[in-house]
Amino acid sequence: MRNFALSINRTPMKNFNKKALLQRLDDQVEQHIADAVALFQNRDDEFLNRPSVNGGWSIAQCLDHLNSYGHYYLPRMREKLRAAPSMEKDDFTSTWLGAYFTRMMDPETGKGKFKAFKGHIPPAHLDSAAVVSEFIRQREELLYLLREGARKDLDAIRIPISILPFIRMKMGDVFQFIVAHDERHMRQAKRNLVPESIY
Amino acid sequence: MEESLKLLHSVVQAIHPLDYADWEALSGIWKPFTARRKEVVTSAGETERYLYFVTDGVQRIYYLDDQDREATIAFTYRPSFGGIIDSVLMEVPSRYYYETLTPSSFIRAPYIEFKAVAYERPAVERMLRAGMTQTLSGILERLVEVQCFSSEDKFRNLLKRSPHILQLVPHKYLANYLGIDPTNFSKLVNRVRI
Repeated sequence: MRNFALSINRTPMKNFNKKALLQRLDDQVEQHIADAVALFQNRDDEFLNRPSVNGGWSIAQCLDHLNSYGHYYLPRMREKLRAAPSMEKDDFTSTWLGAYFTRMMDPETGKGKFKAFKGHIPPAHLDSAAVVSEFIRQREELLYLLREGARKDLDAIRIPISILPFIRMKMGDVFQFIVAHDERHMRQAKRNLVPESIY
Repeated sequence: MEESLKLLHSVVQAIHPLDYADWEALSGIWKPFTARRKEVVTSAGETERYLYFVTDGVQRIYYLDDQDREATIAFTYRPSFGGIIDSVLMEVPSRYYYETLTPSSFIRAPYIEFKAVAYERPAVERMLRAGMTQTLSGILERLVEVQCFSSEDKFRNLLKRSPHILQLVPHKYLANYLGIDPTNFSKLVNRVRI
């Protein structure tokens, strides 16, 4: 019995209480919006476009990179969620691949650096006010989608992923991936607020 | 809850002082209520049954026209009354939406219970009248602003009234409230030093 339990624990097919999962993601998105409003929206264009100390992305580039994913995913998620029937379903199970992508993107579990994919590479100089405002608009929409997700079956709805469209990821995994990816680049953007730090 | 009632008490006393018995009757009808960011508290078409008192967060009242254009009429925040006040007091369907712009806490009282207290207690009725008069005066002042002020003056006035609002509310709602194009609004933020 004990061995069996152990092997269950080690399987990457992770089962979630859906309500708790959506609440946690809602809290994280809330923090991303609050940070964008308090820390970024009132800064001038020169500051938001300034490259990081080590020559990396500016704050505007970090947000524009996230917007490019939102631009792909949000309309597709909105459409699929709206079309899906409402139902009582209390749990959600990540697929192995979904959990893998989220772990890789989550700054707590994925420590490696990755190169941005084609179509998601931000240009060097951006209209920073438009980028920040689009970021906030998208994340407010993401909150609506998370709340709509509470009434839907997040296992049944699938979305083709942006970089490999022949792979279709479960809605619950798309939610987790997007929020983990946002968290990663929000941390990167916030490091630019402290020019002397040497991360 | 105790903290919220204390805050309500100080606001009520500033509008029109109530004695102990009147305050006891008024303070007994409120219950806590919370909402996350971007939740609709009251929809257009629905009759508002509650009086709200804001203890945390920022909310807005807005009108949605037949072409889906939004007009932000007012912001509400701590410590002030909130909600669609004409719908509550006139008991008619609201023409406006009341939504949170940040995570929000309130205490709220069913209007039917408030009405009963105000009917029994003239001081509560007078407090309501004094409060409404202040609100009306604020709305007239805002009409002057809308019709006569330049964008920059409206912007300065907003920040004078609510200095922290730039750190709390996304620009698009502030620009919409002032009737300024969002692009011009961000130029004002960068240009005008308060």
